[in-house]
Amino acid sequence: MLPAITPGDWLLVDPTTRCWPRPGAIVVFREPETDDLAIKRVRARAGERVPFNGGFIVIGADEAWLEADATVADAQAAGYGPPIDSNRFGPVPVSQLVGRAWFRYGPPGRIGRLPGRIGRLPGGASGRP
Amino acid sequence: MSLRRTLATFLAPTTTVRAHCDLPCGIYDPEQARIEAESCYRTLEKYAASEDATFRTRALVIKEERADLVKHHLDVLWHDYFKPEHLEAVPNLHDLFWQANKQASKVKASTDVAEARKLLDLIDQVDAAWKATGGPGKTRLAGRPS
Repeated sequence: MLPAITPGDWLLVDPTTRCWPRPGAIVVFREPETDDLAIKRVRARAGERVPFNGGFIVIGADEAWLEADATVADAQAAGYGPPIDSNRFGPVPVSQLVGRAWFRYGPPGRIGRLPGRIGRLPGGASGRP
Repeated sequence: MSLRRTLATFLAPTTTVRAHCDLPCGIYDPEQARIEAESCYRTLEKYAASEDATFRTRALVIKEERADLVKHHLDVLWHDYFKPEHLEAVPNLHDLFWQANKQASKVKASTDVAEARKLLDLIDQVDAAWKATGGPGKTRLAGRPS
């Protein structure tokens, strides 16, 4: 999730906004494959379409499409494989969301609000079909 | 302990979340799936040859575990090794993996050794696809046992 979040950041998570997150919000969720707590950005929510494998996926009711900020090319340039996000494990049920990360309260030099809605991502969700 | 350190300890988060990327080792070989599928085949033979209820139950449990591992190894190959450009060399790639994974599911649910034989044949086709795309040279270290 660089550069929005870096390892070691201390984040405040609002659990009251876990339902119906807005695209662009950064959310903590239970990763479907592992049940571990993970953090990604909401790219699309119920009813929206996301490009996938040459076509589109329509996000179902009570689901969200979560993605890393880094592209596959960015991750590979940094020596990693593809980001582990909805492109790997598919849409995430809203019931798996824990809350919205909204504020970084540490370390001292990085205190501040997390970037919120980031607008339309390149190749991003195309709105309701 | 200083006040600053005490305060930091008090405020430090107690929960860690991950934002990780995959870190592929770059080593891929259909042999992993093949060995697990052979295990299914042989376990089903032993199942059929035994009249011991406990043995047969254990054989089914082990066979289902191995069939799951086949699916795992096939998925890793499909998702991580094969790339869109490989479709030129193997146009039926997606259908082949779909068929192989479906067959692994059949083996998981079946006691018919013929289903395990079909799975082995499909994995051999995956192996041919891996070889046709330069897999042995690109994804195994030199000195791989032949």
